Amino acid sequence: MMSDQGFGIRKIVYYAEEILLENGTSPAVPAVRATAAAVVTNPWLGGDAADDLNDEVVQLAPVLARKLTDVLAANLGGVEAIQAFGKAAIVGTDGEIEHGAALVHTPFFGNLVREYFEGESIICFADDRADAGATLVVPLWHKNAAATRTHYQTITTRIGDAPRPGEIVVVLGASTGPRPHSRIGDRLTDPIVKADTLGELVS
Amino acid sequence: MSIRKIVTLTEDVLIEGGREVSPAARVAVVAAIVKNPWAGQGFVEDLSAGIDGSASDIGALLAPRVLEALGSPAEAYGKAAIVGLNGEIEHGSGLIHTLAFGNHFRDAANATTLLPAVEKRGPAGVVFDIPLKHITDATIRSHHQSIEVRINDAPHADEIVIALAAAAQGRPQQRLAAFATETK
Repeated sequence: MMSDQGFGIRKIVYYAEEILLENGTSPAVPAVRATAAAVVTNPWLGGDAADDLNDEVVQLAPVLARKLTDVLAANLGGVEAIQAFGKAAIVGTDGEIEHGAALVHTPFFGNLVREYFEGESIICFADDRADAGATLVVPLWHKNAAATRTHYQTITTRIGDAPRPGEIVVVLGASTGPRPHSRIGDRLTDPIVKADTLGELVS
Repeated sequence: MSIRKIVTLTEDVLIEGGREVSPAARVAVVAAIVKNPWAGQGFVEDLSAGIDGSASDIGALLAPRVLEALGSPAEAYGKAAIVGLNGEIEHGSGLIHTLAFGNHFRDAANATTLLPAVEKRGPAGVVFDIPLKHITDATIRSHHQSIEVRINDAPHADEIVIALAAAAQGRPQQRLAAFATETK
């Protein structure tokens, strides 16, 4: 593998939250939510809106997938401990939203994340363009069964000095468990809900 | 002591000023979001009972965690107390400006100097910068640095964020003259 520096990673930020109490009570199933974020130089600065982005995607996206999955797995107790995942990109203000999408929405990132994390789900995401220090809410869902309602959760990511206008922040999120006190049922226990079954409430 | 959440943050700088930083420069922070021990009590003249009941336990919790997150011997360190909007800044100061808190970190890091600190009051999501200085000689200029922290949902109005920060090195690309060596 080429060095991180060869692909221009300026900074790697890891952020984790371990919830001990929610509404005053310890979660029955404890979980750690975390993000790993890499700050890279936008390789398409000054380009045209019709440019083919593929060459840089092939070179850069797999390296980011490898690095960010490594950071999360090392900190969260291994791949086996990771139950939910999500991804995000924040493009600096000199770039196109499409530049962030290119780094996270192709197989060169997503397939490798699924392979390294031993998951099968589509990876949910948030993309934005913003100044350094912007916050972005990263959605997470179950890595093997996306519709598992207990695992719908989010974590907020932010880096004070990134992205600079010519940079992109690529983020991978993960959780080792469900929401604290998840108790809103699931698709198997839901009643049939339609406008006409609710009657006056929505008439 | 009631802790709602523990936050861990590490920043690795691989490039600064366009040049490689090798090995990458790491700064780590671990923060505990605790219930303000004096919440709802009005003006409490003597804070010692609340300090005695919490400060040492929080220091003992955070010190090993921040060194583990750093993953290398600490060369610089600092601390923070961010008080929710219903509290006094004095409440946060009470929890961190006592040897019962700081000595856990000092002993674990083989450190001798005072811990530089930030104390402020703010809403959940307030941004705060933790200052760090060298662990045995606060005049070592290469190690003066800070790390920015933000926790989206903390502190609640009746909470306090207590944090420790540690750095494995000085600033990336540090190249200033040593203290007191400048040409007058």
